[in-house]
Amino acid sequence: MSAMLKEPLMSHDAVVQEAGEPDPILIAQNITKLYGERVGCKNVSFSLWPGEVLGIVGESGSGKSTLLRCLAGIDRPSGGEVMFRHGGTPISLFDIPEPTRRKLMRTEWGIVHQNPRDGLRMDVSAGGNVGERLMDRGDRHYGKIRAAALDWLTRVEIGEDRVDDRPRQFSGGMQQRLQIARVLVPEPRLVFMDEPTGGLDVSVQARLLDLLRVLVRDLGIAAVIVTHDLAVARLLTDRLMVMKDGAVVEEGLTDQVLDDPHHAYTQLLTSAVLAA
Amino acid sequence: MTTMLKAEGLTKQFILHNQGSVTLPVFAEVSFSVERGEAVILHGQSGIGKSTLLRILYGNYRPSQGHVHVRHGDGFVDIVTATPRRVLEARRKTLGFVSQFLRVIPRVKTIDIVKDPMLARGVSDDEATQRAGDMLARLNLPQRLWSLAPTTFSGGEQQRVNIARSFVDPSPILLLDEPTASLDAANRDVVVELIAEARQSGSAIVGIFHDEAVRDRVATRRLDLTAYRAAA
Repeated sequence: MSAMLKEPLMSHDAVVQEAGEPDPILIAQNITKLYGERVGCKNVSFSLWPGEVLGIVGESGSGKSTLLRCLAGIDRPSGGEVMFRHGGTPISLFDIPEPTRRKLMRTEWGIVHQNPRDGLRMDVSAGGNVGERLMDRGDRHYGKIRAAALDWLTRVEIGEDRVDDRPRQFSGGMQQRLQIARVLVPEPRLVFMDEPTGGLDVSVQARLLDLLRVLVRDLGIAAVIVTHDLAVARLLTDRLMVMKDGAVVEEGLTDQVLDDPHHAYTQLLTSAVLAA
Repeated sequence: MTTMLKAEGLTKQFILHNQGSVTLPVFAEVSFSVERGEAVILHGQSGIGKSTLLRILYGNYRPSQGHVHVRHGDGFVDIVTATPRRVLEARRKTLGFVSQFLRVIPRVKTIDIVKDPMLARGVSDDEATQRAGDMLARLNLPQRLWSLAPTTFSGGEQQRVNIARSFVDPSPILLLDEPTASLDAANRDVVVELIAEARQSGSAIVGIFHDEAVRDRVATRRLDLTAYRAAA
C-alpha cells in the first residue's frame, strides 16, 4: 500500500471512498471530448463532495473550459460519464432526456459565465433577472419573489434603487455580481464558474472574490471554478487540478499544488507568476 | 502519555524540472513523535530543512517518502495519503500552522479573522467575539483597528492578528514557524506565554525559533535535523 504512495502525483480516487464519508455530489469518469482529431480534454476523472470547491487551472487551450462545458451538461463528451447525485441515486447526466437535464441545470445547479452577457437577460430588469429563477423553481407569489430578489441584490451589493434598471445600464463588475445573484438565488447545490473574475478591474475582482468566498462557504455549495489566475484559485478553492493539452497533469490540495508543485508544467506555471 | 503526532521515515527531495531537473535532497528518514503537552523545537543550521519539515507535517509540502500520522478525533489521519477533504478537516479541527505572515483576505475585518476558526469549530458568535477581543487586547492591538481589514496594517500588526487567530482557541497540534520573528520584546513575551498556556492545556507543539532565548523558554525537547541530512 505504502509503496504506491511514494509519488502521489495523480490520485484517481473517483470511486474510492472512505468509510463514514458522505456521498459525492458529482462524479466524472474518464471524460473525453474530441473535436475531430483534436483533443479537447481526455480521461479526466474526479469526485466532488458537497461544500467542496474544486479549481481547474491551466493556460488557455489546456482544455479547462471544454471540461467545464461537459461537466455542466452544456456539451456532450465524446467518452466517459458525468454522474450527478439527485436525491439518493446518482444519475448519468447524458443518459437522461434533454428536458430533464435542462430542468436539473436550472434548479439543482448554476453556471456563472465569464461574460455576464451570456448568463443574463440583458433586456430584463435586474430584479426580473433574479426573480425569474425563482419562478423557474415554481415560486408564484409576487411579493415573496420581489423580496427574495431584493435580498439577493443586497447580498451582492447592488442597491435597491437599481432593481428596475436593465443590466446593460450596469458596469461590468455589477453585471457580474448580478449574474452571481441570478445563479445563486435558487440555492443550487452545485455551481460551475468559468473565469468568474476575468476581465474585471483588480479592485472589483477583490470584492467579487470575497463575495464568492463567503457565499460558497455560507451556503455550503459545491463548486467547480475554471481560472487561469492562481491567486484566485488559492483564495477560492480547496483542491486543484492542473490541466495541460487536455489532460490533468497534477492534482491535490490547493496550497500543496501551488507551494510544492511536482509536475514540470505546474512548476512552470507557479514560477511564472509575478508577485504583486 | 498521549501521542498526538507521529512522523515516520520522512524523506524530502525537490526536483526542479525546469532547471535541468536538478534534484535537491533535503533530509532522509526523519522519524519522531510528539506527545500531548510537549514542545519540540526543530534545530539545525539554515537550509537544513526545518521549514520544509514543518510544512510536510501540515500537508503543505508532500514528502518523497514517509508518513505523518496525526491524532484526529478517535483515530489517526495520515496527512500524506489522506484525501484533500480529510486534510482540510484535520486542519480545521486539529492541526494549526502559525507563521509570521498573515495571508490577508481582502475586505475581511480583523475581529472576524480572529473569530473565524472558533466559529468553524462551533463556538457561539457572542463567545467568539468576546474571546477574539480579549486576545487582540492582550496582543496590544488597538481596538480602533479591530473593525478594519488588516490589508493596510504594518507587518507587526498583521503578525499579531495572525497569532491572535491561532492562539485564541489553540489547535490540539500547533506548528509554529518563527511566530515571534520581528515582534518587539513585550509582544514576544505575550507569545511565549500563549505558547506555554497552549501546551499546559494539552496542545502538542512543533516549532522553529531562531531567537535562542525564546527557544529556551518554549522548548521541552529539541530535535536536531543535522543527523538526517540527505547525501547530495
